[in-house]
Amino acid sequence: MTGAPLDLRVKIGAATLKNPVIAASGCYNRGEEYAQIVDVGRYGAITLKSVTRSPRLGNDMPRVFPTPGGLLNAIGLQGPGIDHFLAHIAPELSKVPTAVIASVAGFSVAEFAEVAALMDGLPNVIAIELDVSCPNVDREGQCFAADAASLAAVVGAVKSRVKLPVIPKLMPNVADLRPIAQAAQDAGADAVSLINAVRGMVVDVANARPMLANVSGGLTGPAIRPIAVHAVWEVAGTVSIPIIGMGGIETGNDALEFLFAGASAIAIGTANFRDPLVHVRALQGIEEELRRRSVASVRELTGMARTTQAKAGSH
Amino acid sequence: MDSSPRLETATLVSREFRAPGFWFLKLRCEHVARHARPAQFVALDLPGGFAVRLPLGIYTAQDDTFGLLFKEWGERTTRLAALPEGSQISCIGPLGNAFAMPRAGERVVIVAGGLGVAAFWMLVKELKEASIDTTIVLGARSAPHLVGREELAAFGFPFEICTDDGSEGHRGTVIDRLRSLPRADVLYGCGPGNMLQALCGLADKHGITCQVSLEETFGCSLGTCWGCVVSVRRGSGQATGYPRAPGESRDLDFARVCKDGTVFSSAELVWAS
Repeated sequence: MTGAPLDLRVKIGAATLKNPVIAASGCYNRGEEYAQIVDVGRYGAITLKSVTRSPRLGNDMPRVFPTPGGLLNAIGLQGPGIDHFLAHIAPELSKVPTAVIASVAGFSVAEFAEVAALMDGLPNVIAIELDVSCPNVDREGQCFAADAASLAAVVGAVKSRVKLPVIPKLMPNVADLRPIAQAAQDAGADAVSLINAVRGMVVDVANARPMLANVSGGLTGPAIRPIAVHAVWEVAGTVSIPIIGMGGIETGNDALEFLFAGASAIAIGTANFRDPLVHVRALQGIEEELRRRSVASVRELTGMARTTQAKAGSH
Repeated sequence: MDSSPRLETATLVSREFRAPGFWFLKLRCEHVARHARPAQFVALDLPGGFAVRLPLGIYTAQDDTFGLLFKEWGERTTRLAALPEGSQISCIGPLGNAFAMPRAGERVVIVAGGLGVAAFWMLVKELKEASIDTTIVLGARSAPHLVGREELAAFGFPFEICTDDGSEGHRGTVIDRLRSLPRADVLYGCGPGNMLQALCGLADKHGITCQVSLEETFGCSLGTCWGCVVSVRRGSGQATGYPRAPGESRDLDFARVCKDGTVFSSAELVWAS
């Protein structure tokens, strides 16, 4: 069926993306830098850098360090704060040549709800991702994404204030992701993003000190891909809401791994740094797979490896 | 032709050993070579499973070819040094801002430490074309590390050579040497952080305009990841313009070295004391 129209649309709650390939938060701003060199409109959506209530200077340097197959980072949410964002950045969002997913970070339930409410209804914004990997100051610094009750409180509070689909971004540094994803769904999350960066550290041996000023950082890039695929596999067996899979995707084949493991859409972050055409390659890989399998819709690829495994009868 | 950065494929046309660990490569890439401005850089995608590109300052740029002068200091530079002539390399560039030219009649001193010399070929060429009185102060640990003189010497400006061990030129640092030179109107610097801090301190003390090109570990190289920031005064031209963070008493902001720089004015930079 070469030449037959392929349906690449995916649904995240009430939002429809023209294709399942999303730019991950913190790696793409709103696309203006990459628009100089590639067609950023090929992305199904661009996720903005996380916005907090107050301006943040972020961490001291060094903030990034390349590792084997990865990049360790501790930026520390440098950003303008929501007021400056609304005044100076939000008006530019209508110029983004694809859909926009806003990202909110916070240190309390109230901060998440307040900032998310201000993002609701901005031009071009079709969903709100919650960067819940920050410490919760209301609960002795317990990370929201590490605690089902904290996460449920954030998702519930945000859902009560916004109309747009809400997508908490879960982190892999937990004993079991499944009850946390379940708590997100029960609290009304429209989808979950997974995974956020994996916690890591590099020591500067020559100077006998941590390489990053923040000591630890988040590891991204292909080094974490199998961790991310497994997280998607586990969570897809638990929740019924869509999963946006991410973590080290560099090729169409990588994207298909996530879709087959149970993701409805995928996001690409660090790989843009090396290959600004990675989103086009991922899309082409997905399209080729649809043709190869004579499948009309990308939605039919979601969980394909789960079906195959179930048929084989082994668990 | 648009001078904004592009994603291009460069061809490695020659590789030249300069000193142990030091290489001078020439790459054919018309867009970068024709549009590169002094102190701009390229981001190269090297084979070997690296997650991010290698950023390197553009040294020479002529016709359709640009040159890279670099030292093997990590896996990516080692990989680049080992690529055979004829290799095709994915290249984004030219990236970053550029040195601003002095006014006619101003006296310029360029201060380069070690590989910092690589930031200056294009600037020296423009200074020559503008007939600006220029002196070049080059420093290195020892004579074998004085790379990059060959290309710069062709412009005929006077050199002041300094080595830490006295194996060539004056024994001592470029800053020591600068202090003994006639006062400049404009200073340009590139090199190790402590050298640039001393240079900026000297410039500020004497009220001399000074521009420095900074080196940092980059993530994206394009300004999206905020991984390579430097402290600048709040409200300065290269600052973010974001409001002051609560509880932040320091009068500083973090600008991106890769996107807002790599060139910063000494008047904007805030150095750790």
